[in-house]
Amino acid sequence: MSFYKNIIKADYLQRSRSYVFLITLLVSVYVAYTFVPGYDSGYSTVRVGNYVGKNNSAWIGHVTAIMASTFLWIIGFYLVNNGIKRDKETGVGQIIATTSISNFGYLLAKTLSNFCVLLTIVFIIILMALGLYIFRGEGNFDFIQFILPYLLATFPSIFLVSVLAIVFEVFFGNKTNLMNVVFLFLFGAAIAITNAGTFPNFEFLDPFGIKFLTNQMVEMVNLTDASNTNYISVGYLFSNKIKTNYFDFQGSSLSILYVLSRIIWISIGFGMLFITSKFFNRFDAKVIVLSQKKSENLILNEIKTEPKQIILSDLPKMNAQFGIFPIIKTEFLMLIRKGPKWFWLVNFGGMIALFFIPINQVYTIVLPVLWFLQINRWADLATKEKFFGTSNFIYSSFKPLQRLLTSQIIAGFLLTTLLSLPIIIREFINGNLFAVILIIMGGLVLISFAVFSGIISGGKRLFEIVFFGVTYSIVNGLHFVDYFGAFHHDFKYLIFLIVVLFFLLATSFLVRKHEIMNQ
Amino acid sequence: MELVIKNISKQYNKTKFGLQDFSITIENGILGLLGPNGAGKSTLMKIIATISNPTSGQILLDGIDISKNPNEIRKILGYLPQDFGVYPNLNAYEFLEYIAALKGIGGANLKERITQLLEGVNLIDAAKKPIGTYSGGMKQRIGIAQVLLNDPKILIFDEPTVGLDPEERVRFRNLISDLANDCIVILSSHIVSDIETIADKVAIMKNGQLISHGYQQDIIDVIKNKVFEFEINSNDLNSFKEKYLILNTIRKKENILVRFIANEKLPNVTICTATLEDAYLYQTKNK
Repeated sequence: MSFYKNIIKADYLQRSRSYVFLITLLVSVYVAYTFVPGYDSGYSTVRVGNYVGKNNSAWIGHVTAIMASTFLWIIGFYLVNNGIKRDKETGVGQIIATTSISNFGYLLAKTLSNFCVLLTIVFIIILMALGLYIFRGEGNFDFIQFILPYLLATFPSIFLVSVLAIVFEVFFGNKTNLMNVVFLFLFGAAIAITNAGTFPNFEFLDPFGIKFLTNQMVEMVNLTDASNTNYISVGYLFSNKIKTNYFDFQGSSLSILYVLSRIIWISIGFGMLFITSKFFNRFDAKVIVLSQKKSENLILNEIKTEPKQIILSDLPKMNAQFGIFPIIKTEFLMLIRKGPKWFWLVNFGGMIALFFIPINQVYTIVLPVLWFLQINRWADLATKEKFFGTSNFIYSSFKPLQRLLTSQIIAGFLLTTLLSLPIIIREFINGNLFAVILIIMGGLVLISFAVFSGIISGGKRLFEIVFFGVTYSIVNGLHFVDYFGAFHHDFKYLIFLIVVLFFLLATSFLVRKHEIMNQ
Repeated sequence: MELVIKNISKQYNKTKFGLQDFSITIENGILGLLGPNGAGKSTLMKIIATISNPTSGQILLDGIDISKNPNEIRKILGYLPQDFGVYPNLNAYEFLEYIAALKGIGGANLKERITQLLEGVNLIDAAKKPIGTYSGGMKQRIGIAQVLLNDPKILIFDEPTVGLDPEERVRFRNLISDLANDCIVILSSHIVSDIETIADKVAIMKNGQLISHGYQQDIIDVIKNKVFEFEINSNDLNSFKEKYLILNTIRKKENILVRFIANEKLPNVTICTATLEDAYLYQTKNK
């Protein structure tokens, strides 16, 4: 057992000492604060038709637990799905592979470490929920109804996402594009089950475990107002124009079937781990090599030419050429070559859709998803020097801050523009020049944010987490994360985007300048 | 060309120093940097390569302060770091073109220069393959090729022979010797024989400080007539270690042949010709 404890502890400490984790905790504090809106906030997070619960302990506990279950699927997956990858990159994996730990044992330890990381965030959310009850709550504090939804919904839910992160790492490895697509699909399916109507026993199919809780809310509202619709919405809903009624939610009555379903979901998680352990290659280098292009493996045997002596004075003389076009060209080339070639078929499909499908669906689904699918290309745009270990000689080249960072931003921007070209042309033909400007600005903001988040966090995880959250929010109609004019078409919003862009770029250049001189 | 390093310090926290009041003047030729792990060699090289700011002190290149004007040295710098990587999706040509662009060079001759460099580092046959498929030694040779892209006048090599096979090491040493005529070459290595073969001058560092600097022979002369060999019983080795600085031991059946330093000749010992390695061990273990 101490073996497990040591792996979990080391892994947890390694993750929790990163900037990304710290930033995620800070973001979690803010997000948890928004889970329980005040009566005059103009939005709701959990809503039954026209009804929202009064801010008593049961309602606050339920709402924060429900929101945490979904929120931590979105950000949790991207936060923790690098445990095995890091062991592979650092070489620690090969040491672990020579120990007596079983595949299942190793994967379980990694899963539990993921779980601990997400549990830390849940504890932060619980503390914030307690604080909100103290400052914003009403009625007596019912501890059981406050904590029960966390125990039955959130904890199993984050265990499942911890398992999924490991399963995806084992099966998808470096195929991050495919992994993103599958996860997006899986998450969408889980949400669809949650949002499905109140079919009998349907709540037990919900991996988040929140449908049972929301059904209880619906039942309680129906007791108050039988005429009320039983439609429940989970997520940020801005509804200034809708009249809101308040009901006194007393909490959920425990059902053996529900508890059993949560235990079954946890067991499914263990089962998935067990099956995955049969496919885990235990950092076997041969398997890794075989998965690369076979024709490129025998380079050493192909060397035929005798080496020539280098005489420096005989080498052709070089001219000074300080333009950045060749740098942009290579940066663009590296962006294009990332990921499998077949993925470009998906991209072309998306680009064709940009031209033909209804314009409102272009803005709310196709364009944000198409850009999101390139997450792996954008994520390390300005951090690959660090990841691949080229920073030392690249930062000692001529004016690296002005020339390299600028080239990286331009290369990234060229790709966003290329991908969105059909909708740009379409809006141009429609005479909607303002929309064209907003899309172009959106591409710039996206790339600048990728660069900014990479530089301040030192890796790509922060960008992945936020970008997934932003894309998901746009697809769900959340206006405040709109970065390319999906919902806003006014001049004020353009000015806002310009200010954001300026902030992102200025901070990126300042921090990178400091980095270059402090390797 | 002259590189003057004046009272450079690099302080990480109240008690931890990378370099302490380090001063040295470097002229054209090859300077070999020797020192144990943590001596500050890589820190010094990073500061000269302008990717690390010193806490205090100055570095002057022909009178120009490179901390204030880093691009002055970057134009003529070739730097091979100790740990470096490459972009796996680019081939050798593309990667070197990229580095050339970053160094601010180009023109019609670039392709030809890259070809000649790749021929020189024995990578021309693999030049069109993605670098991600290269072995460690091949990547190290790509690193050497990128150093020479821009007619560098200051070359910094941090552990350049790591990963090279013996034949490649010899070729690299010959290349460095050729460069030394009109360039400043700074070379660090744990393999003292690499330094001994090619360096004109040697600087020995310990705990962030310069403890010895000069021509190889002058450094070796410090222990001239003080290096001996003596065959002793293996049981006596520990007590012998307490009295003398042991440089090397070789097992010989029951006995051990000990190479050591003593201020005076002992009875029955053989006097040996001192080497740079002896002098290095003497300097770093005694001071």
